[in-house]
Amino acid sequence: MNFPNELRYTKTHEWARRDGNVLTVGITDYAQKEISDVVFVELPKSGKEGQAGKPIAVVESVKAAFDIYAPVSGSVTQVNSALEGDPGLVNQDCYGKGWFFSIALKDASEWDKLMTKEDYEKSLKTGV
Amino acid sequence: MGAFGQWEVPLYFTSILEEHEAVRTRAGVFDISHMGEFRAKGEAVVAFLEKLLPRRIAPMQNGQAQYMPLLNENGGIIDDIILYRVAEKEFLFIVNAGNVEKDFRWIKAQVPAGVSFEDQSEFYGLLALQGPASVAIARKVFGASYTELGYYRFAAYEDGVISRTGYTGEDGFEIMVSKPKIPQVWERLREAGKEAGLVPVGFGARDTLRLEAGMLLHGHDMNDTITPLEAGIGWAVNLTKDFTGAGALKKQAQSGPQKKLIGFEMLERGIPREGYAIVRNGEAAGAVTSGTFAPTLKKNIGLGYVRTPEPAAGEELAVRIRDRDLKAIAVKLPFYKRTKS
Repeated sequence: MNFPNELRYTKTHEWARRDGNVLTVGITDYAQKEISDVVFVELPKSGKEGQAGKPIAVVESVKAAFDIYAPVSGSVTQVNSALEGDPGLVNQDCYGKGWFFSIALKDASEWDKLMTKEDYEKSLKTGV
Repeated sequence: MGAFGQWEVPLYFTSILEEHEAVRTRAGVFDISHMGEFRAKGEAVVAFLEKLLPRRIAPMQNGQAQYMPLLNENGGIIDDIILYRVAEKEFLFIVNAGNVEKDFRWIKAQVPAGVSFEDQSEFYGLLALQGPASVAIARKVFGASYTELGYYRFAAYEDGVISRTGYTGEDGFEIMVSKPKIPQVWERLREAGKEAGLVPVGFGARDTLRLEAGMLLHGHDMNDTITPLEAGIGWAVNLTKDFTGAGALKKQAQSGPQKKLIGFEMLERGIPREGYAIVRNGEAAGAVTSGTFAPTLKKNIGLGYVRTPEPAAGEELAVRIRDRDLKAIAVKLPFYKRTKS
C-alpha cells in the first residue's frame, strides 16, 4: 500500500496535504481498499466550518456508508465536485483525482498533531 | 471477510461492481455451501408437508422445486425455502444459513410417525452458476441434459442434484453435492468458464444482484413477525388449503395488511440503507429493509415497508438520509428484469 511521505494522516484514515495554510483532504489507500468500490460521496458545502475530528463528509461503498472526519478545524475552501459524477476516482487515484475537499488551517499546531507516514503505518500494524 | 452464519465467505474477490457486471453479462460462480439442507421422507411425508407448508405439495412432480415461506402459527415468515421433490415420498429443503437450527427445531418438533426428517447441512455443499453464459458452461461441465432443465426443475447429479434455480435474476444453475466434491466442481466450472469470462463472486454482489431482481432477503426484508401478504409473496401461499399459519393469513387477507413491502428508486442523490425512515407527505410512514447502489441500473434503490394503503408505482416519497428527506419514487418490482433470449 502506498502512503506518500509528504502527507499527514489520521487514525480514521484521512490524509491531508499542506499547501501554505490550505489542506487538501482525502482518504488513504488503506481506506479505499478496505471499503472497496466507492459509489457515492457526499461533500460539505464550500464555507462550511469543520471541526477537527468531527464528521464533515460521507463516502459510501456498495455495502455501507462511512463518515469522513475533518483532520483539522477550519472552513472548507473547495470541494471536488468531480466525485459526484465519478465516485470511483476515490478508488482509482485516492491521493490525486480522488481528493474530497480542502480546508483552511486556522491553528497550525493541529497540523503538527496529525500522524506522519511512519506513525500511520505503525497504527495500521498495531491497530491503535 | 464477512461472517454469514458460521461460514466464512468473502464479500468480494476482486470488486463487487465487477462481479455484479460479470453475472449480468457473462457468468459467475458462488459458493453458497453455508446454506442448509434437510431431507424429509416416508409414507406420511406428503400429508405432513401439506400441513406444514403453504403451497400444494401433492401435485409436485419428481424433479420439481418450489419456492415458499416456512410460516409460524401467526403467518410470520420463519424462513423462505426451496422445496425439492426428489421422489414420490422424499423431499429436500434448502434453507437460509442463519436459520438452519431454528428451522430444523421448528419442523422436527412437528414430524409425525411415518416421516423421517434429517438435517444434512453438514454433508452437502452448494454452488451457484449464474449469468447468460451459464448454459454453455453447464453444458461443458455437466452435459447437455442438465441444460434442458426447465426453471425450477432439477435432476440427480453425483451424490446430489443440479437445479435450474438462482438468486440473481439471471439464468443459471445451483449444484448441490457432498462437501468434499465442492472444490473439484468449483475448479471445473472456473476452467470451463474461463473463455466466457466467468468469475468467482462474493456475497456483496450476491446481495446487489438479488436486490435488483426484487428478491427478498430473510432477516432483512422479512422475518417471523412479517407475513407473506405484507412481504408481497402472497403468490407463494395458497389460501385455499389448510397449513400452519393459514388461519391468520386468511384473516389478514380479509382485513388487509397494515403494512406492505414496496420498492423505490431515489430521485435525489443518496443511497437508502436498512433502517432509514421512509417518509410520505412529510411523515415517517415506514422503514427501509434493503438498499443499495444498483450497479446495472446505475440508480440507488431500496425495499421497505410502509403503512397501507401503500403508494402506487409513481408516487413520490422521501427517504430520511442523515436527517434530510431525499426524494424517491415508488416503483414496480422487480427493479431489473433480464431480457430472455
